Amino acid sequence: MWRPTNVDRPTGVFVGLIIVSLVLITVDLRASGAGIGGTMREGVQTVFTPIQRVVSAGTRPVAEFFEDLSDIFSLRSDNRRLRDEVIDLERRLGEAENLENRVGELEAILGLEPPAELDSIVAQVLAIGVSEFDHSRVIDRGRSAGITVDMPVVDEGGLVGRVVSVTSDVARVRLITDPSIRIAVRIERTGETGVLTGRGSAPMVLEMFNTDAAVVEGDTLITADGRFPAGIPVARVLEPARSEVGFSLRTIAEPTAEVTRIDLVRVLVFTRDQVGIRDLEDLERPPIIIPADDEPAEGESEEGLPTETTIPTGEGEGEGVTGENPGTTEGEGGG
Amino acid sequence: MGTVLKYRRIAVAVSSIIAAAALQTTLFVRFRPFDAAPALVLLVVIALARHLPAEFALFTGFAAGLLEDLLSQSALGLWALTLTTVAYFVVRARDRMEEDSSFLVPLVFVLTLGGITLFAVLGTIFGEMTLADAGFVRKILVPSIYNLALASAVLPFFSWALGVRQAINPYQT
Repeated sequence: MWRPTNVDRPTGVFVGLIIVSLVLITVDLRASGAGIGGTMREGVQTVFTPIQRVVSAGTRPVAEFFEDLSDIFSLRSDNRRLRDEVIDLERRLGEAENLENRVGELEAILGLEPPAELDSIVAQVLAIGVSEFDHSRVIDRGRSAGITVDMPVVDEGGLVGRVVSVTSDVARVRLITDPSIRIAVRIERTGETGVLTGRGSAPMVLEMFNTDAAVVEGDTLITADGRFPAGIPVARVLEPARSEVGFSLRTIAEPTAEVTRIDLVRVLVFTRDQVGIRDLEDLERPPIIIPADDEPAEGESEEGLPTETTIPTGEGEGEGVTGENPGTTEGEGGG
Repeated sequence: MGTVLKYRRIAVAVSSIIAAAALQTTLFVRFRPFDAAPALVLLVVIALARHLPAEFALFTGFAAGLLEDLLSQSALGLWALTLTTVAYFVVRARDRMEEDSSFLVPLVFVLTLGGITLFAVLGTIFGEMTLADAGFVRKILVPSIYNLALASAVLPFFSWALGVRQAINPYQT
């Protein structure tokens, strides 16, 4: 017959520590990361930050040496690719200048002020998460520099993530590749909106509200007006979208920012009231608009690229379901 | 155990866990071959649990895990549970390690693999969406291989640092 005395002391301690761990997990999850857990995290991060600064200063040259070494092998192909890109960018620059002139003219006609440039705070990545499943970065600016929770973080490529916690000296940024993050995006070319979901190191998944939307390879996705300011590049579509049993239009996209190798970032001084956001945070999939008819999409160009799509109009457009809560689609499904 | 040796082991345990956590979070910010890094804290827990008294080894695993939890966004206690479990398995298997040293390095690989898998599964159960990461197989496998490669240097070092007279050479057959 089993008795407690049959359990040796290490096994007893082990069981006790497992129970303590489970209690901690339960308490922390119930507090949603706030409460005593949040206070302890802030305290430990504050104490640990000087250690991380010292170790980072010591190890950065070593890490950069190995990084440079690994980059040498890709220099030739990078060079060729960059030459091609320069030619392409020069062409685009000309087009962009024309468009800029036209936008200025149209704004003048409509009496609109051009969107003001957001203030930003430059920061450097100090530390990464403790495990491969921790899609966050610690940056070396915190509350004392004016950073608060929920501010968007960008690099030269586009959106990197958003601030999820902050101490006086550092802030933690959750990357857009985190599987718990969903971002309302708009296809720059057509204006169609959808939701982008992180999948860790794999390409992100784009789900479109409109199953007739035209999504082609190379389309740039920018933030829709929601938790993030509108118009920040987020990702580039890798494959044409395919309809999955008629329920949604899905494809994959890669972030425009070098999320895994970021070093210097800009924290945009922008926060938004989240009252509406909470309503949709736990949605498993984006709401779907049923097309009004079954006719095939019109407006195929000669090259096969659809050029006409239903461009939503008005406030709250594109979210598709939330006319009362425009821009409420980003959220974090868990964690 | 002598008092001096006892304090030496406590000092080594505390300082090595803090150093491992600091290295883990700073050294691999940009240098990430195959987009992964070794699980240094887990490796240090294995190295310490080989030689520390059983209960001390378990508390060391728990404390190291708690530190990882506090330095991350994961639920408080997830890493603590994982590293306590790893320490327990090391405590149970260490007699076998002493008898057959060829068992040691493969065990580091298996324990790292098992530890990260346990964390990923527990994380998913508790809503962290860890298994929703499409690259989770690589994220479990690559750090285990890194730990396997580092074990041959790290384990003898900790045997020496903890004052163990006969350090085990993992490659000695």
